[in-house]
Amino acid sequence: MLFCSWPFLFFMLIVLPVFFMLRQTKFWLLWLGAASCFFYGWWNPYYLVLIFYIAVVVFLLIALMDHCPAESQKINIRARLLRLQFDDRLVKIAFIFFALASLVFFGMALAGPKTMGPFMGGLGLIMLLMALGALYSSREIWLVVGLFNAVVPLLFFKYARFISENINAVLSWLHIPARLPDASALMPFGLDYLLPIGISFFTFQSMGYLIDFYLGKAERERNFLRFANFVCFFPILMAGPIERAGHLLPQFRQFPAIRLQNFSDGLSLFIVGLFKKVTLAGYLALYVDRVYEAPGDFSASALVLASVAYAWQIFFDFGGYTDMARGVAKLMGFNLVLNFNHPYLATGLGDFWRRWHISFSRWILDYIFMPLQMRWREWRSVGTGLALVVTFLVSGIWHGAAWTFVAWGALHGLGLAGTYGLERSAFYRKRVPKIVKQVLVFAFVTFTWIFFRAQSLPDALLIVKRILTAAWQDPQIPALMLALVALVWIYEFLCESRWRNLLETGLVRVGLAVLMVLGLFFSSSGGTAFIYFQF
Amino acid sequence: MKTIEKLNGIFQTVFENDEINIRPEMTANDIDGWDSLSHVNLILAVEEGFGIRFTAKELLTFKNIGDLLHGIENKPGRIGA
Repeated sequence: MLFCSWPFLFFMLIVLPVFFMLRQTKFWLLWLGAASCFFYGWWNPYYLVLIFYIAVVVFLLIALMDHCPAESQKINIRARLLRLQFDDRLVKIAFIFFALASLVFFGMALAGPKTMGPFMGGLGLIMLLMALGALYSSREIWLVVGLFNAVVPLLFFKYARFISENINAVLSWLHIPARLPDASALMPFGLDYLLPIGISFFTFQSMGYLIDFYLGKAERERNFLRFANFVCFFPILMAGPIERAGHLLPQFRQFPAIRLQNFSDGLSLFIVGLFKKVTLAGYLALYVDRVYEAPGDFSASALVLASVAYAWQIFFDFGGYTDMARGVAKLMGFNLVLNFNHPYLATGLGDFWRRWHISFSRWILDYIFMPLQMRWREWRSVGTGLALVVTFLVSGIWHGAAWTFVAWGALHGLGLAGTYGLERSAFYRKRVPKIVKQVLVFAFVTFTWIFFRAQSLPDALLIVKRILTAAWQDPQIPALMLALVALVWIYEFLCESRWRNLLETGLVRVGLAVLMVLGLFFSSSGGTAFIYFQF
Repeated sequence: MKTIEKLNGIFQTVFENDEINIRPEMTANDIDGWDSLSHVNLILAVEEGFGIRFTAKELLTFKNIGDLLHGIENKPGRIGA
C-alpha cells in the first residue's frame, strides 16, 4: 500500500482509532503487528512468509547467542557429539533439533521432486550451519549463520538473475555451451520470482540488530511480539529509515504518550512529504523521464538540466517518502530517526553522506566501513581509501542489480577516498568560500546521479559524452520548472542562512501551506511508484 | 603517570588541541574533529603509545573513552602507565 493512495487513508482510519482504544490493554502491540502484516501482505501475502522467517530466525539466534559464553572456551566436541553433553539445555535442544531438521531437508532434497531440490538443499544447509553453531556454542558462528540467513534471501531475490545473466554472457563469449538456469527456476511451489518490496531495508535493520547484540551494544529482546514489531513496523517497512534496535525497540515497551503536538507534527510532516512526492517529484519526473528515455535526441543543455532536475526529483521523492513515514509514526507517538538534513547544502562529500539517507549511510559506515578500516589500519590512508571504495561499491550494489548502480557507488567511493583528506584540511575549511564548496559538491553529486538514473551504462556514458561535446541548444524545459528548481535552491539556502527565521514567520508559513495545498490539488494522484521501493 | 593522563596526551596530539581533558563518559560527539575517519589515527596512536594491539572486535565494541581505557588496562604487557 502506498502512503499516497486511498487504501492507505482507509487503513489509517481504522488502524489509528483502534490503536488508541487499546492503549489501556496489552493488545495494542498485537494490533500494531497485525496492521503491519496487513500493510505488507496487501501487495502479495507470500512476502509475509519471508519477513516472518527473518524475524523468527534473528530472534532465535539472538536468544541462542545469549546462551553462549562471550569469551571463547575449550569445548569437548567428542562428548557433545557422542553423549550429547551440553552445559546449556537450550543449546542442547537446538543442536538436536537442527541436526535432525538438516537430515530431513537433505533427505527431501534427494528423494523429493526435482524442482524442489535446490530449495530443500538450501534449507538443509542452513539447518546444518545452525547445528554447527550449537555444537561449537560460539557467538561468532551464530553471527555468521544469522548474517547468512539474512543475506541469502536478499542475494537470491535481488541479484540471482543479474549474476546468472552476467555469467551466461561470459560463458557465451568464451563459446562454452553451458548456461546457468534463470533464478525463477529455483522458486519452490511454483511461486513467481518477484522482488519482495522493502527486503533491503528490513534485512539491513535485522542484520544491524544482530551485529549490535554481538558487539554488546544492544540488549536482547525477550518478547517476540515486540521484536517482530521492530522488524516489520509498517511506517518503515517499505523504504526505511533503517532504525537501530537501541532507538526503536524501547519505544515499544509501553504505549507512547498521547500528545496533541504529535498529531499536528505528524500530520504536517505527512502533508509536506506528500507535497514533495506527488507535486514536486512528480512534476520534475515529467521532464527527466522524457530526456532520459532518449538521451541521444537531446542537446547538452537539456541533459544538464534534466540531471539537475533529477537530483531534486530523487531528493523530493525519497525525502518526501521519509517525511511521510516519520509523520505516520509520529501520529501514533513514535519517533523515527532523521534521514535527510538539507543534503544539497553539503560542503564536502563526507558532509553530503552525513546529510543524505543518514540512516543508511550510518549503517554502512558502522557495519562495513569501520570493520574494514580497522582491519586495514596499518595501511594508513591507503587502507581508509580502500575501505571507502569497498563500502560504497556495496552501497551501489545495494541499490540494485545493475552496472549503473555499481558505477554510481564506485564514483562516490573514489570521490570520498580522494577528497576526505582535503575536506578536513585547514585550507579547505577556512579559505575556500562556502558557496564554492556547495556548488562543487552539488555538481559532483549530480554527475553521479547520471549513472544512477540512466537506463544502462552505455546510456550514462552517452549522456556524459554529449554533455561534453554536443551543442547547447534550447533545452525545451518548461519555464515553470526552471523557476521551481530556482525556488527550491533559494529555499534550501535560506534554511541554513541567517535569514532562516524568515521562514518561521507566520506569513511565510501560511503562504507555503497554501502553495502546498494548491500544488497537491493540481497534481494528479496517479500513484507513481517511489524510486526507493525497488531497492 | 596514570593511564588516563597518558591517554589524554595522545588525544591532545592526535586532535591537535592542548585543551582536551578527557573523562571516561565522553564520546566522539564531545571532541572536535573526532569522527569515524580520524578515529583510526587515534587507535593507531594509542596502540603505538601503549605498545599494544587491539582485535577488530574490541575496537568495534568501544562506546566511549571509558571503554577504551578499560581496553588498554586489560591488555597485558602495555608500556607506560
